[in-house]
Amino acid sequence: MTPGSGSGYLALLQLADSALPIGASAHSFGLETLTAGGELTVARLEEFFRAWLEEAGALEASWCLRAAEIEGAAQWIQLNKAIGATKPARESRDASAVLGRRFLDLACALTEDPDLFRMAAAPCEVHLAAAFGRAGRALQVSARTAAAAYLHQSLAGLISACQRLLPLGQRQASALLWNLKPAILSAVEGPLAYCFLPALEIGSMRHPGLPTRLFVS
Amino acid sequence: MNGTLHLAFEKADTGATVLHLRRQEPPWRVIRAFAGPSGEALVHLNNVSGGVLSGDQLELRVTLSAGSRAQITTTGATRIYRQAAGAREAHSTAHFELAENSLLELLPDAMIPYAGSAFAQTNTVNLAAGAALFWWEYLTPGREASGEVFRYDQLRMETEIRAGGAPIAIERAFLNPRLRPLESVARLGECRHLATLYVCRAGEPPATWSRLEAQLNSIAAGLMEAQDGVRWGVSPLIRDGVVVRGMAPAGPALVGGLRQFWQAARLLLTGESASLPRKIY
Repeated sequence: MTPGSGSGYLALLQLADSALPIGASAHSFGLETLTAGGELTVARLEEFFRAWLEEAGALEASWCLRAAEIEGAAQWIQLNKAIGATKPARESRDASAVLGRRFLDLACALTEDPDLFRMAAAPCEVHLAAAFGRAGRALQVSARTAAAAYLHQSLAGLISACQRLLPLGQRQASALLWNLKPAILSAVEGPLAYCFLPALEIGSMRHPGLPTRLFVS
Repeated sequence: MNGTLHLAFEKADTGATVLHLRRQEPPWRVIRAFAGPSGEALVHLNNVSGGVLSGDQLELRVTLSAGSRAQITTTGATRIYRQAAGAREAHSTAHFELAENSLLELLPDAMIPYAGSAFAQTNTVNLAAGAALFWWEYLTPGREASGEVFRYDQLRMETEIRAGGAPIAIERAFLNPRLRPLESVARLGECRHLATLYVCRAGEPPATWSRLEAQLNSIAAGLMEAQDGVRWGVSPLIRDGVVVRGMAPAGPALVGGLRQFWQAARLLLTGESASLPRKIY
């Protein structure tokens, strides 16, 4: 693959596909608890995801951007440690680390990029947002484009989880993802990297206690 | 008003902890320390202004020497007053430095942000090996009895807890009820009150946190069964600690829950019963 050309953009499309074989479809990141409790319904999905993008989306995008600009393994380790500390719920934190490691390993294999191999060899957990941001740099796509693609992938995965948890049809799901694209861009461009989603965090913390679970997280 | 308070706790030869007031500027006021049942020094933080005024720049520094123990509380709720036109955002910075095997219980009353208030707080905690932290925080929606619910302008709350030099918990929250509706299902939904408890000890093995998590989850289940609308979550941090987070439509359920979690955690982690700070409740 020749980076920096249209082929880099095509490679990004593949890495941003929610069907990428890293196991993302097994995770709801706390959504399953909220739907089980009846708090999250189809009627409230768009409002829910707008809030998610304003908070977690902006924060995750900031990590993507940061991962693309840092130099050296020490900063990489520091970033990933900080990301882990920012995720209070174990299941969501572990999911991010498992998916991040799988994503980075796959990106290494596909791109054969030496920088990605260096990051993969660093002795730390690798979170998905950081891995994605770094892969975007390897593909020489702009950091903001990579961050937007990452959020698009994450949002598509969450909406897909909702299709399995709620009576959400395919056309509705497509419309939801379509309508939220401006909010994705706002999350990437936003100056604030704060996150206040206590209901979702508590949902993720309570997830292991659900009597029946479709998802790992 | 700009004010700094620096409290230094040291373990005396007798084994008790003594308080040294390194610096005290208005509006901060600490009268004295009381001896607690486990050798800790109990201190009541008082803000003589009655709350955080528009534009206040407050700094709190707390240091605990090796083996010392402190319990810090407030004399009442932290009221955040309305922001005056043109004034800069009120800001509070708190830094806690815990040396080896020291113990800090930080048990303030609720924070009440008034309508039109704007406030930022930055809290950092550094835990050396064996240092323990029990810290709860409780945020109300405003002066509910006056009909003020989520009518503050904005709150920025940043917290970082580090153990052995690396972060174990980082929170960066920006609450602006007009721009980011707190009634969103992802944020507070139908709840109005939010509480958090951190229980940490640097270097404690993971098995301890697994035991504590199971115990606190059992308490959480009981609390949620007893009271409608209350949500509690418990999770281990990346290492060296556990976080408990709760939200509820009304405040009393959270206050009672925080005490139960804290008491259970204190007993499991230190083998000692927790003592509520001496004051009028």
